[in-house]
Amino acid sequence: MEQVLATTLRSAAPLVLVAMAGVFAFRAGIFHLGLEGLMISGAFTTVAIGDATGSVGLGILAAIGVCMTLSAVYWWVIGPLGANVIIAGLGLTSIGLGGTAFALGAIFDIRGSMFTDVVLPRPVRGATSGPGVIISEHSILVWITPLIVLVAWIVLRRSRFGLRLAAVGEYPFAARSAGVNPSIVRLQALLISGALCALGGAELSVGTLRNFTENMTNGRGFIAFVAVIFGAWHPIGAALAGLFFGFADAIGIQSQINITERVPREFVLMIPFVLTIFAVWLGGLWRRRTLEAEAGYAELREPDY
Amino acid sequence: MTVPSGPASAEVPAVRCRSLGVSFGTVQALHDISLDLAAGRIHALVGQNGAGKTTLAKVLGGLQAPDNGTVCIAGNQIPPGDVRAAKSAGLAMVHQHFSLPPSFTVAEALELTAARPESHSVYRRTELYRRWQNEVAEVGGTNVLATRIRDLPVETRQSLEIVRALVSEARILLLDEPTALLTPAATDTLFERLRGLRDDGVTILIVLHKLREVAAVADTVSVLRDGKLVLGPSEISGVSQGQLSDAIVGPAPDTDRAIAVEAATDVEQQLLLELVRVSSRESAFEPGLASIDLTVEAREIVGIAGVEGNGQRSLVSVIAGLSAVTEGSVLLGGEEVTRAPPARRRLRGLRLVPFDRNSEGISRSAPLWLNQSALRLIGRRRQFPLISLRQYKRQASEAMDLWRVRYNTVAQPAESLSGGNVQRLVLSRELASGLEVLVAAQPTRGLDFSATNFVRSSLRGLRDAGAGVLLVSSDLDELFELSDRLLVMYGGSIVARFNAPYDRQAVGDAMTGALR
Repeated sequence: MEQVLATTLRSAAPLVLVAMAGVFAFRAGIFHLGLEGLMISGAFTTVAIGDATGSVGLGILAAIGVCMTLSAVYWWVIGPLGANVIIAGLGLTSIGLGGTAFALGAIFDIRGSMFTDVVLPRPVRGATSGPGVIISEHSILVWITPLIVLVAWIVLRRSRFGLRLAAVGEYPFAARSAGVNPSIVRLQALLISGALCALGGAELSVGTLRNFTENMTNGRGFIAFVAVIFGAWHPIGAALAGLFFGFADAIGIQSQINITERVPREFVLMIPFVLTIFAVWLGGLWRRRTLEAEAGYAELREPDY
Repeated sequence: MTVPSGPASAEVPAVRCRSLGVSFGTVQALHDISLDLAAGRIHALVGQNGAGKTTLAKVLGGLQAPDNGTVCIAGNQIPPGDVRAAKSAGLAMVHQHFSLPPSFTVAEALELTAARPESHSVYRRTELYRRWQNEVAEVGGTNVLATRIRDLPVETRQSLEIVRALVSEARILLLDEPTALLTPAATDTLFERLRGLRDDGVTILIVLHKLREVAAVADTVSVLRDGKLVLGPSEISGVSQGQLSDAIVGPAPDTDRAIAVEAATDVEQQLLLELVRVSSRESAFEPGLASIDLTVEAREIVGIAGVEGNGQRSLVSVIAGLSAVTEGSVLLGGEEVTRAPPARRRLRGLRLVPFDRNSEGISRSAPLWLNQSALRLIGRRRQFPLISLRQYKRQASEAMDLWRVRYNTVAQPAESLSGGNVQRLVLSRELASGLEVLVAAQPTRGLDFSATNFVRSSLRGLRDAGAGVLLVSSDLDELFELSDRLLVMYGGSIVARFNAPYDRQAVGDAMTGALR
């Protein structure tokens, strides 16, 4: 049981971080399907730069820089260039997945996995049994994730910037008439989102593990996006959803260890995804009321020719 | 152009624009508009639907960049389409539709639009409530602060829009058709408020439809027609209502004859619509129906009066088959349709002009021809399953031409039409052949007066052709003019029934539940 909880925290941390990224984008009105691509770019950059410089801190800074740059490009494509948000997001994901695999081969001449000695510090170590296992061996990013969620909540729900962000996402016209430039606010949201994706990717590659593997995000960016929807794009809600998906993942991992004799391995691997689908269905039921209220609201602009 | 006389003309005008021009594609929305509005007065702007009033208001407010021309607010020239510059020069818009985000609480929405945010970028909720409690005192007190915008009644939202404008420390208010959604009583309250603001030195430009309202509130009036300024600004005392309506309609009056409606002339049934002790559940904004008895016969218009929110919406949606009946029965032409779906009711000759034409009457993103043909596409059985698009488009354009919908192509989305044209589109669809009974909910709300006359004479034409009409309206003059019988709703029941000639005071008493 302790092992399951410990694994839950480790699995959930990258999901929660990327879900926060998704919440910032979603509240600014962006259906961000590029999270996966940003996350893997962050994972790769942390390992590549961290390994080259020998410093995990420099690796993470570089990852944040790369992900914010990619986010700015994404903003430029969907904003000034007017591309479809969904298509451009999926494109960003493809670029991230393909680009990191390509860079791995081109720069390091490695296929598959690249191992490294750099790793995030782990404040609490050494417990092998009892409740101590739950908090032991977690990277520093797992520890500060709750803090990041709290900051995200304050910024989104208790700051004037958060109000502008929500107005831009919900009702750009309202934002414009309040003198807010929606395009700039979207850029700000995407930059924050990029930085958070970088942290999520870093936790994945040098938090628990010490390697970068092609396609190592394995759909986590999309699950994080699902957590955003399931958590009704509220930072706390999305964090809890991320935690839940982390739990589902942990159950999968644990049962894989314990019960592979009796149950086919593929079935066990399926568990987190089945739970995800179930959760999304539940979330949809719960959310329907709000959507109806929105649909009844007459659209703002009635062109007057 | 007439410069208003008096001391104001010596000062810098609150709003000055020169040679404004705006075009949308091939449509010239504004044409060479030059206008001075003196400070500290109430200026009315009138014109037909599509005359360019909203466009002009948006240009002045910086929400729409003009193709050419200049705008000066209180002596400062505003860069084209710069909302911030217009705001900091002291101008704020109160939009035709609401401009506050629906999921925000009132306090959050006010904080969003505040002119000078407090220095801290992070706030606490109680701090927001304290900060805005004085501003909302007039619109429902402090407990409204934690309410979400979407949960507020329409009048409160309207007042909040004005509060929002004043919170941004505006000295010039632009109100775009603020009365379109208000009841007469709420309109009076609004005008009272505007006069108070004027006396405090605020300049007001208000876009209006009804000449009666212009006379009630404005100091000066200007008329737009086809994107041109054809009159004013003139002192309201210097122009007669006749001059105004001539200016609005134009020299070659677009005589909007009523369309000869092909209603079933030999209606076999005398009793077209009957509700027997019908009750329904309450909705978010309205009481449910409480044991309503109602009949509509052939060749009559039955009016439903009532203060908004007394069950009129429930009544319409119960008749249309959009919400469930808990008790009682609904009969169309003698046939029980209490549990029948809307499509079957439509086959029985029921037609509907809904309350909100933009969200219930049309699909805004669908092309005009599809909106126009919707009735032909649904509810028919035993028909060849394939359709001819060309034929549908042709029929749609014929019907829209007949109803004088102004459009460029049948493929354009319905949202590109102005309000009056949307209503014509709805009528062209609903008043087609097969109509026996029409439920018309606020059919003239927000329409200019030639469109209003057009709709009213169409309703009369329908009745004379043998159909029955149930007219739900908050405009008493309209009800008195059109109705053969008048029922008053109050708290979900019908509390009084009147026959012409109507006693305004008695009807008013029944509407407000007053006892004398």
